[in-house]
Amino acid sequence: MQAILLGIDRLSGFIGKLFAWCILVLTAVICYEVFARYLFRAPTGWAYDVSYMLYGTLFMMAGAYTLSRNGHVRADFAYRLLPPRRRAALDLTLYLAFFMPALLGMLYFGWNFFLASYGQNEASSVSPTGPYIWPFKFVIPFASALVLLQGMAETARCVICLRDGEFPPRDDDVREMEEVALASASMQHGGQPAKGSTP
Amino acid sequence: MSDPVLGMVMLGSFVFVVLLGFPVAFTLMAMGIGFGYFSLGDRVFDLLVQRTYAVMANDVLISVPLFVFMGYVIERANILDRLFRSLQLAAGGLPGSLAIATLATCAMFATATGIVGAVVTLMGLLAFPAMLRAGYDARLASGVTCAGGCLGILIPPSIMLILYGATAGESVARLYAAAFFPGLGLALLYALYVLVLSMLRPSMAPELPASERNLPFVTVLTALLTSFVPLAVLIGSVLGAILFGLATPSEAAAMGALGALLLAIVYRALTWARLKESVFLTARTTAMVCWLFVGAYIFTSVFGWLGGHHVIEDIFVNHLKLNTVTFLIVTQLIIFVLGWPLEWSEIVLIFVPIFLPLLPIFGVDPILFGVLVALNLQTSFMTPPVAMAAYYLKGVAPPDVRLTQIFAGCMPFVGLVVMAMTLLYIFPEIATWLPSYLYDLPTGVQGQDLTILPEGGFKESDEPELPPLR
Repeated sequence: MQAILLGIDRLSGFIGKLFAWCILVLTAVICYEVFARYLFRAPTGWAYDVSYMLYGTLFMMAGAYTLSRNGHVRADFAYRLLPPRRRAALDLTLYLAFFMPALLGMLYFGWNFFLASYGQNEASSVSPTGPYIWPFKFVIPFASALVLLQGMAETARCVICLRDGEFPPRDDDVREMEEVALASASMQHGGQPAKGSTP
Repeated sequence: MSDPVLGMVMLGSFVFVVLLGFPVAFTLMAMGIGFGYFSLGDRVFDLLVQRTYAVMANDVLISVPLFVFMGYVIERANILDRLFRSLQLAAGGLPGSLAIATLATCAMFATATGIVGAVVTLMGLLAFPAMLRAGYDARLASGVTCAGGCLGILIPPSIMLILYGATAGESVARLYAAAFFPGLGLALLYALYVLVLSMLRPSMAPELPASERNLPFVTVLTALLTSFVPLAVLIGSVLGAILFGLATPSEAAAMGALGALLLAIVYRALTWARLKESVFLTARTTAMVCWLFVGAYIFTSVFGWLGGHHVIEDIFVNHLKLNTVTFLIVTQLIIFVLGWPLEWSEIVLIFVPIFLPLLPIFGVDPILFGVLVALNLQTSFMTPPVAMAAYYLKGVAPPDVRLTQIFAGCMPFVGLVVMAMTLLYIFPEIATWLPSYLYDLPTGVQGQDLTILPEGGFKESDEPELPPLR
C-alpha cells in the first residue's frame, strides 16, 4: 500500500517537475519577444499565444505535485493544533464530500470541453498565427485526472492515519527557505523539531 | 430558500468551513459547485471548466510565475548577508542603526523576492541575533524584522497587486504606480519611528562601538556598490519599465527573471542544484496561487449569480445608510478583522471582489481602494492568531525570546499602518498623483480637450458624391 502511495507521489512529482521547466521557456520566449520588438523592430506573432499556454500548462500540471507536497494553502491555525486522528477525520470527510465531486466534475466536463474544441480543430483567435488551441484545452482533463489520483492517495493516507494514529510518510524534495531556516534553528537551539510540519 | 439568501448562506458558511483547515482552493471550488448546483444544475460544471480555462488563458496572471521565479532566484543568490552588512555600514552613525539597516534590508529583499516567510526567517537568523548581541530591546528588534519583511507584498512589483488587478479588472501598471509612494512612505514611516524611538530611549537601541561606526567612506561605498546597487538597479528597471509603459508587467517580469539569473551568475551562486530548486518551488507556489484563483473565481461567480451582491448592497446602502467615509471605515475594518484568521491571498481573492461592485455607488476609486487594502493586509501578518511573520520569527529566534514579546514589538508597527491608512485617506493624492501624472490624457492648455478632432481640416461631407444613375 505504502509503495503505491509513494508511487503516486512520484508520478505527480515527475509530471509537475517536468512542466515546471516551462518557466525557463516562458522567460526565454517573453525576453525574445521584447528584444525582437525593441532591437529588431520585428515583434513576433506567436509569443502571446505561446506565453499564456506555457503559464497555464505550468500551473495546472503542478497542481498534483503541490498537493503531494501538501503545498496548497490551508487556513490551518486551529487545524494544526489538532491530534493527527482528528485531522485525518476532518480531511477524510472533506476529501470525500468536497474534493471528489469537484474534481470528478472538472474531469468529466473538462473532457467534453476538450472534445468540443478538438472536434472543430479549434485554433486561437487572439494572435495572427493562430496556433491550434485544443492541445492546451486537453491540459484541463489531464491535470484534473492527475489531481484526482493524488487526492485518492491523500484520502488513503487519512484512512491509514485513522487506523495507525499518525500520517504515513510522503515523498519529499526541495523545501521552502523558511522551512529550512526553521528546521536549522530548532536544531541549533536544541529544541524539538519545528512545529507546524502538517501532514 | 431564495437565491440571494442562498448566496448569503454560502458566504456565511464559508467563513466557518475554511477554518476546518482543508486546502482553501478545493474548499472554494466545492462550495461554489455545491451552492451553484441548486440554481444552475449541471451547468455549474460548465462554469467550473470555463472559469478554469479563463484563469489558464489570463494574460495578467502570466506575470505571477515570472515574479515568483525572479524571487526564488534572488533568494538563493547569497545576496542577503552582503546586503545587510553593507546597509549596516552605511547606517553606522545613525541612532538605532542596526534596526534601520534591518528594516531597509527586509524592505529591499522582500520587494525583490516577494516571499515574506523567507525574509523574516532569514533575517531572524541573521539580523535578529546581531541586534540582541548589540543590546537592542527584543521587542524593537522583532518589530522591525516582522514589519520590514511584510513590506514585500506592498511595495511594487508585488504579486498581491497583480491578483487584485486581475480580480478587479484594473491595470496592474496603474496599481503599481499608485502603490509606489504609499509603499515607500510606509517604509520611511517605519524608519522614522525607529529613529525617534532610539533617540528618545537610547537604552532600547544602544550605539554600536566606534570601530563599527567610523569606517572609511571607500569601504562603505564598495560594500554598497557590490550588494545594494545591483539589486536596486534590478528592481528599479523592472518597475521603471512597467511604470513608463516600456513593457507590460509580464514582459518586465520576464526581463526581471533574466536579470536575477544574471545577478546570480555574477555572485557565483547559480548552481544546477539551486536552479532546479528555484524552478520546482516556482511551480509549486504558482500552482498554489493559481488553483486558489480558480477556486475563488468559481466561488465569487456563483455568489454573483445567486445575487449575493444585491443583499450586500442592500445592507450597506439601505440598512447601514453609509456614506463614503463610513463605507471605507467599515470595509477596511472587515478586512482588518478577516486578516486575523485568514491570509492575504484568501482575502484579496474572495472578500475584496464582494466589495468591488459597491465602489462606484460610494464613489471610491478602485485603485485607491486597492492600495488601502494592500496597506491593511500588512497587519494580517502581524496580528494574532495567524501572525505568520511573528510565528516565523519565533521559530528561528533564540528560545528565551517569548512570543508575547514579538507581538508587543509588532503592535507599534500595526499602529503605524493604521496611521498610514488614515493619512492616505486624508491625502489620497499620495496614491493617485503618480498614476494620473503618468497615464491620464493631457488636458492641454485652457482645459482644451486634445482628443477631439480639430476645427476645419478633416471635414468630410455627409453625403458622398456618387455618379448619377443612368
